[in-house]
Amino acid sequence: MLAPAVRTFGRGGIHPDPHKQATAGRPIEDLPAPAEVRLPLLQHLGDPAVPAVKKGDLVRRGQKIAEAQGTGVPLHATISGKVKPIDRHPHPTLVLAQAIVIARVADAELPPLEFPEDPEWRALPRDEMLARIREAGIVGLGGATFPTWRKLQLPPGVEVDVLVINGAECEPYLTSDYRTMLAEPRAILEGAVLMARILGVREVAIGVESDKPDAARVLRAAAAALPAAGVAVHVDLVQTRYPQGAERQLVFALTGRTVPAKALPSAVGVVVQNVATAAAVHDAVRFRKPLLDRIVTVTGPGVREPRNVRVPLGTLLSDLVNFCGGATDDATRIVAGGPMMGRALPRLDIPVTKGLNGLVLLTGKGPFEDGYGPCIQCGRCIEVCPLGLEPDQVSVRVEAGKVLDTAPYGAEECYECGSCTFVCPSQRPLVQFMQVAKASLRRQRETRSAR
Amino acid sequence: MSEIPAAAPRTFVVTPGPHIRVAQTTASIMWWVNASLAPAALWGVLVFGPRALAVILASVAGALAAEWLGNRAMRRRPTIGDGSAACTGLLLALTLPPLVPWWAALLGGAFGVLLGKTIFGGLGFNLFNPALIGRAFMMATFPVAMTAGWSAPLAWLPRPLDAVTTATPLGALKEHGLEAAVRLISGPGGIQGLALGLRPGSIGEVSVLLVALGAAVLLARGIITLAIPLSVIAGTLLVTAFSGAPWLHLLGGGLWLGAFFMATDYVTSPVTRGGQIVFGLVIGVLTGVIRLWGGYPEGICYAILIANALVPALNLWFRVRRVPEAGSPS
Repeated sequence: MLAPAVRTFGRGGIHPDPHKQATAGRPIEDLPAPAEVRLPLLQHLGDPAVPAVKKGDLVRRGQKIAEAQGTGVPLHATISGKVKPIDRHPHPTLVLAQAIVIARVADAELPPLEFPEDPEWRALPRDEMLARIREAGIVGLGGATFPTWRKLQLPPGVEVDVLVINGAECEPYLTSDYRTMLAEPRAILEGAVLMARILGVREVAIGVESDKPDAARVLRAAAAALPAAGVAVHVDLVQTRYPQGAERQLVFALTGRTVPAKALPSAVGVVVQNVATAAAVHDAVRFRKPLLDRIVTVTGPGVREPRNVRVPLGTLLSDLVNFCGGATDDATRIVAGGPMMGRALPRLDIPVTKGLNGLVLLTGKGPFEDGYGPCIQCGRCIEVCPLGLEPDQVSVRVEAGKVLDTAPYGAEECYECGSCTFVCPSQRPLVQFMQVAKASLRRQRETRSAR
Repeated sequence: MSEIPAAAPRTFVVTPGPHIRVAQTTASIMWWVNASLAPAALWGVLVFGPRALAVILASVAGALAAEWLGNRAMRRRPTIGDGSAACTGLLLALTLPPLVPWWAALLGGAFGVLLGKTIFGGLGFNLFNPALIGRAFMMATFPVAMTAGWSAPLAWLPRPLDAVTTATPLGALKEHGLEAAVRLISGPGGIQGLALGLRPGSIGEVSVLLVALGAAVLLARGIITLAIPLSVIAGTLLVTAFSGAPWLHLLGGGLWLGAFFMATDYVTSPVTRGGQIVFGLVIGVLTGVIRLWGGYPEGICYAILIANALVPALNLWFRVRRVPEAGSPS
């Protein structure tokens, strides 16, 4: 019998060294509650939360400390303790931002809140489920941090028929989703079925990269054990190939549908959610449990003991790195997220936020520290771009100051997977050229429509 | 006891992502090209003697000197180490007749880099292959040496300083017909001279076998692909198939050196597969046309230069098809 074909996306893509062996075999470990957490009011895409506590208040783990506002989500205390003055603190993406700081008080004095099961959880109306998901502060845990309640509330007129659950984890080094799939397959599947019910879809497709066959097996076994809910769940292996976990690429691999340029997957009837998000949705609907912790892979040649860690949100990266044996003396760079799309951080006194799926400590010089050369027109960036864009053309135009001439080459469609930059022999920062072009084109369009 | 001062918080380098990349760089690619040309170059020195070595060294020296001068004149950071100027010099030398005076090769290398690359703005901005610009310059400046500087293979061994000029197989074919060409290559190496590389010709073109070996290294390392070279060879075969001596056109000139090492130059070839195939076919067909009906016995140099001029158009005509926007006609 032939092995079932492993699905994948069409053009482009790269095969970076996976580097997953350091943490793939390590079960998730719990970080002991830190002495202090700093919880930024903005850890998601949308409006920041509004503090509901003040200096000196005693809060219990699980208690809401900031209210949702507009398009945002609320925030909860992730350790029990005393609220310190609300002030601006280092933030992974905003540099400095308002954060609620909690100094820990022993659990014996201030026990964490309990979250008992709601016996009616399987039969809740749609709006109640959505409200619980929002109240729990859940956002896309794959790194995008888009509020999950908004993604599950489709605009009028948009209909979807497939929910895709993203377990591809195509970024090198990262194993947090992989260990989550092994540890909580039941929660992931229950969460997926709940979201399918909210969306009104009857098909759930779970995509797992082919280098994690055991995760797919565990998920399949859990799917077989699910009580019948009128939702068909299938787990498919997808090729180990970057960026397999990008929404467009995964949707094509699993459903054969091509998401049009500049559109969301819902344009072809699909919503994509990450595996960790699905597990969090399950906890929120079944137990009314807010998002308090997340799984972070701490790895790379610059950390002494690579681990997969369950971390209370707001924990300082320095506490997390110390739990993993500390940074090596030759560590030069820390990347929040995976090494392809993650962001380099200057320091470790920055809190763990909802979108942080990994912390990769690297040694040696980074790709651009020695500058970059001219485009030699080798065509590799075009070959690997999963969207068929032309990063070479965009880059030379940005260099020449003709930023607005980049539109025909697809600058606005780029989602910054970094494949082009990964292969560029002249070490050109093509993603940054794309960002510059994208920002200028957007600004131009906005000023034009404002007129 | 004095208090231990708190250590300053450790800071890390912030660079844009992605934070990992392939090991290959422009310089490493250029040096691999140079290295894969080395066997054919060494063979040329073995077959044609010390004068061939002098031509190679002079051409490379000329190219490097011009690169240095160009960097200085344009106040750019030095690029001699990236291997691209050395590559231009080496490639030019390999297309030259072995008996060309060394100082002519020096000038050729320098002009190739200056007129072929520097004045366009340096590496990446040139329209034409710099090595072939150097060769075209020499054809115009030293026409006699460039068309009569051929040596019989191994002729330097008995009398190292005495040169024996002869014709190339393609030259003999053009001037005197197939029989003369066959007589020429059935000299010292016998008819196998073609495959072994014991025949008159340019320094680097004579051993098709070693050129192919170098090309195999570049293919294995993913530096070049087969799209351009195969279409070049196919194009030439197409035109010369009924000329009576297609095998002579295939193996008797500089087709392989040009197809695998010159037509594949990134800067002066199209970026997409479709463009590359058309580009290769144009070179191949023009090579055959020049050889059969043109004024020169060998046509690959001008064929590549003409096709170079088509590259911007080919890049425009053969673009990658993107996913269309919703609602747009597809």
